[in-house]
Amino acid sequence: MTVPFDVSRNGNEATLVIRGSLDINTAPALGEEIDRLVTTRPTKVLVDLTGLDLIDSSGVAALVKLYKAVRAASGQVTISGARDQPLAIFKLLRMDKVFNL
Amino acid sequence: MAPPIRLTLPGTLRYRAIAVRAVAEAARLVSGSTQRDPNDALAHDVRDPFDTAVVSAFMEIFNNVAIHAYSRDGEASTIELTITPDADQIMIEIKDHGVPFDIDGVPPLPEELDEHTLPEGGMGIHIAKTMLDEVVYEPGPPNLWRLRKHLSAPTQQLRNGSPK
Repeated sequence: MTVPFDVSRNGNEATLVIRGSLDINTAPALGEEIDRLVTTRPTKVLVDLTGLDLIDSSGVAALVKLYKAVRAASGQVTISGARDQPLAIFKLLRMDKVFNL
Repeated sequence: MAPPIRLTLPGTLRYRAIAVRAVAEAARLVSGSTQRDPNDALAHDVRDPFDTAVVSAFMEIFNNVAIHAYSRDGEASTIELTITPDADQIMIEIKDHGVPFDIDGVPPLPEELDEHTLPEGGMGIHIAKTMLDEVVYEPGPPNLWRLRKHLSAPTQQLRNGSPK
């Protein structure tokens, strides 16, 4: 299974770029990466969804986990680039306002 | 009306992409939409609102069957799909031979959503029910999910060349 994300770090800031399909098959690998990321207590995390084509509830759950963990450590999360089906899912779940999409 | 598309798949997540691809293509038959790159057999993109609704809902139901009817890592029997694309709607039947699902036991989403109440689960059935015109579950054996989505008026008008 292709892992559809890259993580880069610049000091206390992290950028997470997610592509393709974030779903029940690919979200577990992202969840493990999120676990590693949050232990470093980044102050800012940018999540770039420009290349994300499809998401399901498992993918949404992974992003919620990231959001909650970073915010709980007083960090900031910025999610950008959501479009098409992923944006429709965030709107349906009313998460577009929480995530400021 | 075109004949139904029938697929029988092992009821595991390994076969999910095949099922999703079949449903996405069937939805495109109804909506008349195209992929961003029609020659990219591995493309994931779903942009048309009708396709978005059908594919999003189907993914959740397939996940549900693979996880709840057949445990994620346990032995799985088959999932039988019957996809019927029509001129103005699509119907999808998903039949499994696993453990029945308690659809009434799914909690609703929180009324007020903020960073503390964001749900990390239980969203799948909500997505399916909200996206589609009809979600019917009949516990078995075999268990049967029946999904239906009508082509919305604006999309039909666009396809027929009528003004918005």
